[in-house]
Amino acid sequence: MNLPSFILKNALRNKRRALLSVLSVAMSLFLLVTLQVALRELTNPINDEGSSLRIIVRNKVSLAQPLPARQLQTLDRIPGIVAVTPFSFYGGLYKGDEKFTSFAQFAIDPQRALPLISDAKGVTKEQLDAWSADRTSCILGKMTADRYGLKVGDRMQFTGQIYPCDLELKIAGIYYGTADDRNLMFHQKYLDELLGNPGTVGTWWLLAASIAEAPLVTDRINKTFANTSAEVRAESERAFVLGFVSMWANIKTLIGGISIVVVFALILVTVSTMSMAIRERFRELAILKAIGFKRRELFVLILAESFGLAMFGALIGAGGAWVLFNNINIQKMTSGMFLMFEVTPQMLGLAFAVAALLGLLSAVLPMINVARISVVQGLKTLD
Amino acid sequence: MSANIVTIRSLSKIYQQGDINVTALDKISLDIASGEFLSLMGPSGSGKSTLLHIIAGIDRPTKGECRVQGIDVAKLNESQLADWRNQNVGFVFQTFNLIPVLTAYENVELPLLLTRMNRAERRKQVETALEIVGLADRAKHLPKQLSGGQEQRVAIARALVTDPALVVADEPTGNLDSHSAQEVLGVLRTLSHDAGKTVIMVTHDPKAAAFGSRQIHLEKGELSK
Repeated sequence: MNLPSFILKNALRNKRRALLSVLSVAMSLFLLVTLQVALRELTNPINDEGSSLRIIVRNKVSLAQPLPARQLQTLDRIPGIVAVTPFSFYGGLYKGDEKFTSFAQFAIDPQRALPLISDAKGVTKEQLDAWSADRTSCILGKMTADRYGLKVGDRMQFTGQIYPCDLELKIAGIYYGTADDRNLMFHQKYLDELLGNPGTVGTWWLLAASIAEAPLVTDRINKTFANTSAEVRAESERAFVLGFVSMWANIKTLIGGISIVVVFALILVTVSTMSMAIRERFRELAILKAIGFKRRELFVLILAESFGLAMFGALIGAGGAWVLFNNINIQKMTSGMFLMFEVTPQMLGLAFAVAALLGLLSAVLPMINVARISVVQGLKTLD
Repeated sequence: MSANIVTIRSLSKIYQQGDINVTALDKISLDIASGEFLSLMGPSGSGKSTLLHIIAGIDRPTKGECRVQGIDVAKLNESQLADWRNQNVGFVFQTFNLIPVLTAYENVELPLLLTRMNRAERRKQVETALEIVGLADRAKHLPKQLSGGQEQRVAIARALVTDPALVVADEPTGNLDSHSAQEVLGVLRTLSHDAGKTVIMVTHDPKAAAFGSRQIHLEKGELSK
């Protein structure tokens, strides 16, 4: 026998309690990691190279305010822009019986948008041509197509929620491989026609020539339309999405609050369990003291036991989350609500740091009690 | 018998219980020779366990001096006392106090984990100790698989595994039937007679006390005989 095996035997002497302790730590840390991942996925937009190249131009007053369609000619003349297309969020209800917009529909100019959607795969040239030729057609992200069991040639009906018009679109192609394979794209011309050609667009979506050029382009656009009847705010796609993210502030606070409560409850449970386990062993600890174990050696025994249980819990909980989320199709499971559900090394680090803190805190009280109690007092608890 | 291993002079122990001072030991002076088997007798509350605890270095006197092998035990600090106890004192308690998750072998080995002995050296010591108490064949048994007498003999093996000069036993037969008690007392006497250990045993039982080479009585914190 050696000290580690003695510690292990002590930790496992009440197997049910050890198992429940480990499981409570594991479940709590699994929940903590899950919350952290969810928070990250909700608040951190995907940051690919394309999102830095793509620029959104919206009305400076408000996103809800449309922009004049005539701005297109001006935008075409601004240096550093490779492509520009209208980009109007339609926001309709699919089939009309859904209670909220479950995926985004954007009105664009198919020809002009091609460079912007160059990462989309799965749509043949013939399908692209067919989409361009038919103003009532659309291309649809594969996730949405899979979710509703749609295929090329099917028709989709939408009830307008923002615009006072309904849509009926024919699927010309189904794409995948973009940062968000849920969206539907259809003709701005079709929307204009249904609205009676109002001469406006929701926003402009454009592609800068290079990442270095992108900030210059946004600057040029903002300056170009300054002091006009429709001043604009141009920003990278990433900055635009982050603008939405700022609206998640309460969610952040909520998830942060839940995480703190989880950790706090976990500390209370573990401290209580560990204190109970040590209190039951006061007589033995007194005997160990009598036969020559010093305080620091008893501290090591207690700390190693609580630390070991907490770390084992972390291994199961945080490690389990890592294995699970790396092996499930989160897009399918959440119907596309989450595109990714990645457990980062930082999150694993946080979980193990919490476990370490837990191991330490749950050992403190028993250690104080053991330090205080003399051998004689400990022996008196025997009889 | 040879020189004194324990020398006690004017030893007092006073406990404070609220506003009241309770004198557990009152100016005790006592010499215990090396290799002696001393039986400490007395009624409950007479201070015999307190005296044993002070000699063994797990309690401190209020006044007076207690020297064991020439060392004033009360002057050692906590850490020094722990080392001293590990090397010089073996403990046997009424309730055995074996660690339930460890086998007899591992229980006996426990004090040796604090020494610099390697595994082979430890094994030799443990096997010898278990042989002395006649339990070599029970080495792999857990305490719950042993009888009370066997548990106490394992506790004795644990007490002598570090080869201490002094073995202290507090009511070692208190929880045993008469047959087991005889066995345990026989082992303690053998330790004193054959191995030259000094054994100090606290007991209520005159029959058990008779196994000792000397008996002393405590009454209200004072030596009565």
